Amino acid sequence: LKALNGDRRRWDIAKLIYMNNISPNDCIKRWKGEDVDEDHESEIEEEEEDFFQKRNGTASNEKDAHEGDLETFKPYFETLDRLMQKWKKTDLLKDRFIGKPAFSNEDDA
Amino acid sequence: MAPLVFQGSENFRLRLILATLAGKPIRIENIRSNALDPGLKDYHVSFLRLLEAVTNGSKMEISYTGTTVIYTPGIIIGGSHSHKCPNSKPVGYFVEPLLYLAPFSKKKFSIVFKGITASHNDAGIEAIKWGMMPIMEKFGVRECALHTLKRGSPPNGGGEVHLIVDTLLAQPITIHELERPKIMAIKGVSYSTRVSPSMVNRTIDGARKVLRNIGCEVDITADVWRGENSGNSPGWGITLVSQGQRGWCTFSEVIGDAGEVPEEIGMKAAYSLLEEISNSAVLGRPQLPLAIVFMVIGKEDIGRLRISRAQIDERFIQLLRDIKTVFGIEAFLKDVDDPDSDDFIVTIKGVGFTNTSKKIA
Repeated sequence: LKALNGDRRRWDIAKLIYMNNISPNDCIKRWKGEDVDEDHESEIEEEEEDFFQKRNGTASNEKDAHEGDLETFKPYFETLDRLMQKWKKTDLLKDRFIGKPAFSNEDDA
Repeated sequence: MAPLVFQGSENFRLRLILATLAGKPIRIENIRSNALDPGLKDYHVSFLRLLEAVTNGSKMEISYTGTTVIYTPGIIIGGSHSHKCPNSKPVGYFVEPLLYLAPFSKKKFSIVFKGITASHNDAGIEAIKWGMMPIMEKFGVRECALHTLKRGSPPNGGGEVHLIVDTLLAQPITIHELERPKIMAIKGVSYSTRVSPSMVNRTIDGARKVLRNIGCEVDITADVWRGENSGNSPGWGITLVSQGQRGWCTFSEVIGDAGEVPEEIGMKAAYSLLEEISNSAVLGRPQLPLAIVFMVIGKEDIGRLRISRAQIDERFIQLLRDIKTVFGIEAFLKDVDDPDSDDFIVTIKGVGFTNTSKKIA
């Protein structure tokens, strides 16, 4: 396997997906390394997780609530303010577009 | 054959769809069993009725409390029907799952849906027309259309759409999409029912302002509905679609509520589209399940699809697990051969599904 771009991936997502004893939510957390304690998957860990979720900010709770319902068609988006912050500059996406050759003149948003 | 067992109400429609395609009986237990009003909701039952209408020989048993459903699928026959959707869910909730079944039917699908045509959580008309149907086209379903006869905004609805799928396939085409398609244009539509047309123009302005610097063509049209055909409630909304190479697309959709500023709705849709583009490789998150399911029921050949790291979420995992339960097929994830990219290639071997309803192979 090639270099992991600096992030420490300790769980292989391809395997995690089919471990039915782990809930999808936990899979994602483990994979992204958000889990604190991963050595024992016991009650201790679960307790800790509950503990964490309760103290989380409202934003992530909102996200949890949205993802909990797998029936919704529209994916989760952050609030308008945060999206605005993120996309003030559209440079990140430039390589995704082709067409109008006038990139350089209109650079300044 | 003993039914496959699922727990809970999540992925309700998809599980029934998968069971129908596979021809395997399923049993869904503990449907909203901890809720104050346990059991199936009216839209669940409505969906079951719809499923019963487009299939022949399906058997459904609902337990006394409504928390357990046993479903034995029949064959998909399609045909002409009319379906009245409850006001608790928009027509998109019912149209979307039928897209999975329609190409594999015995007769062509021609179904009129009546009800609400827009909502915050489910597919709108344009999302299906411009977001889902182009994906079906990639799998060989070329003749499908969704005609808007009437629009109906929530809460009172009164809209009417006509779903037509004329292509009948034995199995979907195997796809190999290993590159991120470049985006050539952004198109969109902003509609309104029973409100001033200026709302539409202001929404478009808001979206344009955001997309001005993006460096590709932006074309957003106005679609104002008046009188009889505009349903029972005032409302407006916008759908934006990015059109990529080789016919791939991603989209975002936002609808306005009373008291919201049209410019903000437009901006929100535009920013959501940028976010969706940045988070996706070939297609967006709402389109992913359709593509994956069509890959699974394809020929006994390896199909490949590039997805981004951000697209692997809870819903994706649940989708793959449900597919494994029903079809016994696992997807393989591989990093792409590119050190600058976080993307994955999903590799799925088709089950060699054949459309049993069709007379000629």
